[in-house]
Amino acid sequence: MKILIVDDSSTMRRIIINTLSRIGYTDVVEGENGKSGLEKLGQGGVEMIITDWNMPEMDGLEFVKTVRGQNPAIPILMVTTNAAKEDIVEALQAGVNNYVVKPFTPETLKEKIESLLG
Amino acid sequence: MDQSEIDALLAGGGKPSKKPKAAAKAPAPAPAAVPAPAPAAPRRPSLDEPQKDGSGHVISELDTVTSVTERESNKVMDQLDQISRLVSRQQQLITDMMTHEGAQSPGAQQAIHEVMSAGKEIQDKVFEAMDLMQFQDITRQKLERIVHHLRQIHDYIVDLLGTGLKSESERPSISHTIAQTGTTPDENKAHADAVIEAFKSQKKG
Repeated sequence: MKILIVDDSSTMRRIIINTLSRIGYTDVVEGENGKSGLEKLGQGGVEMIITDWNMPEMDGLEFVKTVRGQNPAIPILMVTTNAAKEDIVEALQAGVNNYVVKPFTPETLKEKIESLLG
Repeated sequence: MDQSEIDALLAGGGKPSKKPKAAAKAPAPAPAAVPAPAPAAPRRPSLDEPQKDGSGHVISELDTVTSVTERESNKVMDQLDQISRLVSRQQQLITDMMTHEGAQSPGAQQAIHEVMSAGKEIQDKVFEAMDLMQFQDITRQKLERIVHHLRQIHDYIVDLLGTGLKSESERPSISHTIAQTGTTPDENKAHADAVIEAFKSQKKG
């Protein structure tokens, strides 16, 4: 299972990659904003996306909307600092399947990923 | 008030500088002991280069802080990765040792199990420390909000005075709603889950 991680923070990408490897997902590609995320997605093979919201060039919401225009089925998990109810609803309306507020625990990430894949 | 004075005002946070324009526009001295940052997102400026639009040393300083903390956080992550690899290697060696002829006495086996258990505990603590490094990204986003507000003040002053400074367009969008400092991951999860459930119920209904 190849997972695309889109986040402008290299530290956060490493944390997510570490968490994924601990729960058995080691095939990972990275993008540092929505634009590079779309490029990586275009290279094929990605079966799930984990994306941040606040990023330069193309933010996570725009990225999700663009992805959904091309691929309505791919599971998308948003992992962000945006914590307001309106933000969560906006992201769900844009097409994310689930939502995690930072900081998160590895158990939360695992639970959300498994619920998306199950 | 001209552009250099606006920049100086933002830099000092007090009265506009009366320095000659050339001096006011001079770049801030780079921190001498700090090497160039590791490659990161494109919006991050180099530590020894001031922002090209001259939009204020305060913003430049904050960008430097985020670049440096991200770079240093990655160094901490490197160290933790290395510890994790070493502990894994140690666990493997101990596992091999358990089958050794000289290690078959109950006392030796007991000691080996205790070392294995301590190794696992170290590994868990290393993973926990890695997870705690999320603070870097959250702090960075809080600083981005401050930068955003500073830029709004800056742009307002520029508009008011009719000078032509352009806003930087390559910054990330900012989070207006970062969870309060001190909110636990479990509280964050419960909140997000409740909103998701309500959203799904509403959709079904």
